[in-house]
Amino acid sequence: MIGAAIIVFREVIEAGLIIGIVLAATRGATGSRLFIAGGVATGILGACVVAFFMAAIAGAFDGFGQEMLNVVILATAVIMLAWHNIWMSGHGRELANEMSAAGRDFALGKRAPLALAVVVGTAVLREGSEVVLFLYGVSVSNGGSAASLAAGSAAGLGLGVVVSALTYFGLLRIPPRHLFTVTSWLIAFLAAGMAAQAAGFLQQSGAVEQFAQTVWDTSAYLSESSVVGRILHTLIGYSEAPSLLQLIAYVVTLAAITGLTRLARPAARPKLVSAE
Amino acid sequence: MLRSLLVCAAVATTAFTGTAFAEALKTYELVLKGDVFTPAEIKVPAGAAFMIKMKNENAAPAELEAKLLKIEKVAAGQSSIVVRVRGLDPGKYLFVDEFQEQTAKGYVIAE
Repeated sequence: MIGAAIIVFREVIEAGLIIGIVLAATRGATGSRLFIAGGVATGILGACVVAFFMAAIAGAFDGFGQEMLNVVILATAVIMLAWHNIWMSGHGRELANEMSAAGRDFALGKRAPLALAVVVGTAVLREGSEVVLFLYGVSVSNGGSAASLAAGSAAGLGLGVVVSALTYFGLLRIPPRHLFTVTSWLIAFLAAGMAAQAAGFLQQSGAVEQFAQTVWDTSAYLSESSVVGRILHTLIGYSEAPSLLQLIAYVVTLAAITGLTRLARPAARPKLVSAE
Repeated sequence: MLRSLLVCAAVATTAFTGTAFAEALKTYELVLKGDVFTPAEIKVPAGAAFMIKMKNENAAPAELEAKLLKIEKVAAGQSSIVVRVRGLDPGKYLFVDEFQEQTAKGYVIAE
């Protein structure tokens, strides 16, 4: 039972963190809760579809369909995260600073959460399909252990929800005028980490063979499969043994998002640039 | 701006052209039945990239995972997957079925 809980928890921890951050980032935006719930629901549905067609997907691209699907999903999430940050920097700062008055600007509040709803959906889809497959495996393997495995899986899922809640309420302890800056940085790092992951999948599939050398190997000190490793992997894109291409993707994405965000920032309000 | 986009496109095209997904790499067959990998040890020459084709003969899905080989791939029940592994330094590398990682273990031995 403990084993099942750990497996499920390890898979949902990333989605849990992302949902927590997105909830905090869109706090007060009209209808954002609905969008995010929709993202989660769509993600779960998508995870079931992907799990059901896993054999067919794995067979695509000469056996590297899973990797290609992951690249597409991750790239979509990176673009949505980047777009959210850049757009919010240009138009959404007022919204973030006057959250109580968000209702009067419905259009402003609605567009950015849509991008983040997609991010939440892709996060749930990516990790969820493995959970669905694991649970399916539990249900087809007969014997008395199935009930205990199911209980463990439920516990793991519950822990994922706890991570989400801790992230959200932890972020809300930050004073509102700093919250926007903090979530912007979190989102930029999330995107950079995902871009590095996508680069890794491109290399695993053999689609890209350049820059394959390993830059460092810290697996002996902090394993990516440990809980702390997983959390850092999601939050800042920690990788125990990244390739050069992954490092490049990480740095370029981070630089592009922070650079474009700065460019999009209204020039007339320089005093808001502080707090970084 | 347009020019740099064109350059990017050209570089991307060059990178992808002629890169087949499954080139003629040596492929090692692996079978998972219950929690037993056959063979339990795969011997490969050090330094040469290779592929592993795993057939999951269980009804339940499996996830072939080897952190040090950068493998993490799901196999549906009764289906096969392939993974690429880069050239390895000599050594013994653990792989597991993550869904039953306490018992389902095997090794890649590079020498």
